[in-house]
Amino acid sequence: MATVELKHITKSFGDNTVLREFSQTFQDGEFITLLGPSGCGKTTMLRIIAGFEKPTTGELYIDGQLVSGGKTFVPPEKRGIGMVFQSYAVWPHMNVFNNVAYPLTLKKTPKAEIQKQVERVLQIVHLTQYAKRLPNQLSGGQQQRVALARALVAAPGLLLLDEPLSNLDAKLRESMRFEIKEIQKQLGITVVYVTHDQTEAMAMSDRIFLINRGVVQQSGTPEEIYNHPVNQFVADFLGKVDFFKGEVKDGSIVFPQMGGQALPYDGPRTGKVEVAVRPENIQFDPEGPLQGVLEAQYYLGDVDDCRVRVGETLVRVITGGYAYKTLKEGDRVRLSVRDQMVFDDDGMLDEKLQIQT
Amino acid sequence: MVSGSTVQKALPRQDRRPFVTKVVLLILFLCALAIIFMGIHGIRAFDASGFSSEAAFHAVHVLAGETDRAWQEQLSPALSQLDAETRSGVRQAAKDLLINAWEDTDAADAVLGEISGEKEESLLWKLLYATYLTRGPKVSSSVRKTLSALPDSDAAAFRTDTLSCVVHPDSEVPEAAISLLEKAGSEERDAALVQACFATCLKDSADDAVNTLKKSVRDASAQLKAYRMIALGEVSFVWQFIVSNSRSVILSGILLAADILLLTFLMMGDGTWIMDFKWVMILIIVDFLLLFQLMPLVYMLIKAFFPDTTFSLETFSRLYTYPLNLDALSNTLIAAFSTMILGTVLAFPLAWLVGRTNLYGKKFFRSLFVLTYMVPPYVGAMAWLRLLNPNVGTINQWLRVLFALSDDPGPLNIYSLPGMIWVLTSFYYPYAFITISRAMEKMDPSLEEASRISGSSPVKTVLTVTLPMMLPSLISGALLVFVAAASCYGIPSIIGSPGRVHTVTTRIVEYVSLGQQGMNDATGMAVFLMVLAVLILFISDVLLAKRQYITVSGKSVQPAIVDLGKWRTPLTVLVSLFAVVVVFIPFATIFATSFKVDVGKSMLRQDNFTLSNWLTIFGRGETIACLKNSLIFAAVAATVGIVIACTMSYLLQRTAIRGRKIPDFLITLGSGTPSVVIALSLIMTMKGNFGINIYNTAWILIIAYMIKYLMMGMRTVVSAMSQIHVSLEECSQISGASWLHTMFHITGPLIFPSVAAGWFLIFIPSFYELSMTTLLYSTTTKTIGFQLYEYWTFTSQPMSCAMAFGILLIVVFLNFVLNRLTKGEFSI
Repeated sequence: MATVELKHITKSFGDNTVLREFSQTFQDGEFITLLGPSGCGKTTMLRIIAGFEKPTTGELYIDGQLVSGGKTFVPPEKRGIGMVFQSYAVWPHMNVFNNVAYPLTLKKTPKAEIQKQVERVLQIVHLTQYAKRLPNQLSGGQQQRVALARALVAAPGLLLLDEPLSNLDAKLRESMRFEIKEIQKQLGITVVYVTHDQTEAMAMSDRIFLINRGVVQQSGTPEEIYNHPVNQFVADFLGKVDFFKGEVKDGSIVFPQMGGQALPYDGPRTGKVEVAVRPENIQFDPEGPLQGVLEAQYYLGDVDDCRVRVGETLVRVITGGYAYKTLKEGDRVRLSVRDQMVFDDDGMLDEKLQIQT
Repeated sequence: MVSGSTVQKALPRQDRRPFVTKVVLLILFLCALAIIFMGIHGIRAFDASGFSSEAAFHAVHVLAGETDRAWQEQLSPALSQLDAETRSGVRQAAKDLLINAWEDTDAADAVLGEISGEKEESLLWKLLYATYLTRGPKVSSSVRKTLSALPDSDAAAFRTDTLSCVVHPDSEVPEAAISLLEKAGSEERDAALVQACFATCLKDSADDAVNTLKKSVRDASAQLKAYRMIALGEVSFVWQFIVSNSRSVILSGILLAADILLLTFLMMGDGTWIMDFKWVMILIIVDFLLLFQLMPLVYMLIKAFFPDTTFSLETFSRLYTYPLNLDALSNTLIAAFSTMILGTVLAFPLAWLVGRTNLYGKKFFRSLFVLTYMVPPYVGAMAWLRLLNPNVGTINQWLRVLFALSDDPGPLNIYSLPGMIWVLTSFYYPYAFITISRAMEKMDPSLEEASRISGSSPVKTVLTVTLPMMLPSLISGALLVFVAAASCYGIPSIIGSPGRVHTVTTRIVEYVSLGQQGMNDATGMAVFLMVLAVLILFISDVLLAKRQYITVSGKSVQPAIVDLGKWRTPLTVLVSLFAVVVVFIPFATIFATSFKVDVGKSMLRQDNFTLSNWLTIFGRGETIACLKNSLIFAAVAATVGIVIACTMSYLLQRTAIRGRKIPDFLITLGSGTPSVVIALSLIMTMKGNFGINIYNTAWILIIAYMIKYLMMGMRTVVSAMSQIHVSLEECSQISGASWLHTMFHITGPLIFPSVAAGWFLIFIPSFYELSMTTLLYSTTTKTIGFQLYEYWTFTSQPMSCAMAFGILLIVVFLNFVLNRLTKGEFSI
């Protein structure tokens, strides 16, 4: 229902550039997630689309129409966008019905029509029986749904969500995730969703834009990003990952800190490398190429989270729950590794990014 | 690439903008300098003119227009009717008349020598016309009436005839001029004829200007100058405006220059050089504060060190060696210090008991103690005076009976320094109480819980955790009490003056009443108070690096409640006792006294009970007028104040605009300045010597109230606004609402309770204000507070008690209104 086109958008606050040359197109009906650590510029991007910030340079088109750029600037109230704020921003002095009806009253919609539309969206968010309540009589999750209903009531083609689930408890967060996705599918609207929670991003998005320090690191479907990260940052940010320093020598990678043990390698890289491995891709395997001692294991029910010392390095292994029964601490084990990702050693491991998830 | 090239094209335009802005600023600054220069020039021109009033310039301007009109429409046509010979004869006669009238032949020759050529005739006649406005033969009003009654054509003929008569003595004099001629006699025949001619020209509308000229230009040489100015039309409208308002012109020039400099400074810091409307708002508020707050204070300081334009510490050395003043100084310091210690020592346990324990009725006590803050201090002074008067004080009478003492005065005497300290304490401890209890309620309970779990007893927790955590607010509360006590006037004036216990404030007011010399001395004393206040403000703001103000705020989180256990009842009794002594007894005394005939006897005696005090105050027109004044002044101050407060809150909370802290600082400074100092500085600068004359008007009172109380309103609105998350407004905007719509439907309703509270916080103290009013009132702007003081001092104590109780009722009622208006969220 709406496309968003960003052309060379840069945003600086004084000397501090928070977004650099952002150029992307969000397609009609797409669920887009802007993902990244806090301070990466994703919220700024969302606020630029909403019109609360003016980009320093660059142009922004919504449905092919220039809304920001050059001398043109369409203020937020003229953009016809729905938005859900992190703090919900449910007005405490209005009841649920009036909160949701607000965008329609501004459009001078007839009363009967307002009634109908508000009831429709309240039904979508399962709040029909709370219409007369005041926000302080609602739980956090309910307030969040009021905010969602209010953003949807005017049937916008574009819905912006700014970390809408971060203030909810874990269970509610999980169920809201699917509800939001359902609503988006049902209405067929374009959604731009900002979050720092990778699970949320994986569960909902058609496309994820992973942003760091104002620059898009990678964009693609959840699967592409998870399985084929273009750099260490992306690999590290999505899912669990451990990095090991190694060197390519004669068709294998030698790890000096693992007592010189090696993994077979037939890729294109040479010299010093960093190998990223997800703990679930390391398995106990009597035939495996690496050898170590099981130092600790934590039984988590569905999985067993283990630490294996290989040389001087502690390797994390996540394996099926059954391993708990067969192994005990102090056992000598062998490990096999699959789907490892090999990057050039750019010193990134040494500086080890500060990531808050 | 397309977008890239647009960016390229846009750049030069942006580059040009700073340049244009800078040029505009420069031009405006030069304009400001020009305005200042013109104003100075105006003052010089006036001084050189020898006129006794600036109004003369206006008169000269009006008369120049009138003279020119008379020449164009009447004299010139009349002259053209004459034949050439007669005309030159008349001209010669006019010259003679002029020299004659001016008496000073040399000056006349000089002026006549100046005019020659084409314009000679017109200038000559204009000069004569102007001269005869004040110097010519007198025209009686009856003659003038006859002349002005002539129809236009007759008048024209009359003018030609009279002028021709000057040259032809034998021709027949027109009838209307005969009486004038007869009065003049033969010597002044020509003058009378010309004056008769002129009299038909002069319009009645010019009379005012003529009278002004007569009154304010008396000196002969100044008169000559004025005539010359009129004839040559030297005084333009703008010029006369500048001269007659030269001080205002200079002041506005300086303000404009200051604004431009400030704006330049702000823009320089901002870097974009784009004009922002918000700066205009800041500048308007800053201008107001500069004009009415900073300039008066600075002028006062300068005046203190430069009493006669040269630097001298003579004022200080004289003031501070005079024993009475030294007494006042030490009294002020001792009283303020003792009040601070006593008040804080009382306030801390009270705040803890009321805020953090399960004391019985703590909500009631809290409201009660806070309410004292809203009671005029002088009412307390009156009450304690009634109770502790050495002769007839109720408590003294009881004590004498109780301990079987003799009937000598005493044992307690309110008219003493300890008496004053007691009353000051009982009225200023709420300052500390409010500050401390607010901080206490905000304190995170887990901090204390952590202490308890570590093995500390409740009392030990208070001493080792609560008290140290409270220290900053404890200190700032204490300093607040210190400044309030040191700058209080109401209590010392009622208790101190009769007991000859002088303080700095009472000395200042006494000095002001002494006239010019007194004014200098008052300034010297005020400087002491101001230095004290600024020092304290500095300490509590900078050193504590934590702003603590008395503001009301909404509900806060429920802090942990300490169970008092077996102490619950005894402590409640103790607090009740305190409440009875400090709040109940004084108010009851005021109430009881208001029904008494003789203050020394019991109200319950048949012959001592009367309603006449109440009937009198409600029946007296003067009291009603004062009440009306108070209500109006306070309402205006509160309304203008709250508009500024809301603007400031918006700037402080919703913008990152540079310079928004400047008015904030000035407003804080204003509220920290002692009332008496504010009033004194306004007296010194607002009586016309700086181009603003609002002395003796209601405005000077209103402005003083605003300067003193604006901050309370501002803090309240600011704290409310800070609690409204900006996303509430943004969400309204993205829903499609304009800024105005958002302000009206979202922000407005949400901060309304605080805005109302802020309004009342300015209104209530302005309503009963005494210290500033004492110095600034005039006969038509007396307020209820001052009226009460007059009644107390000069008329009758019972009657003033009735009035005091009336004021109290109004304050309580207003508090009730506020509570209702904000749905119970606020009361003071």
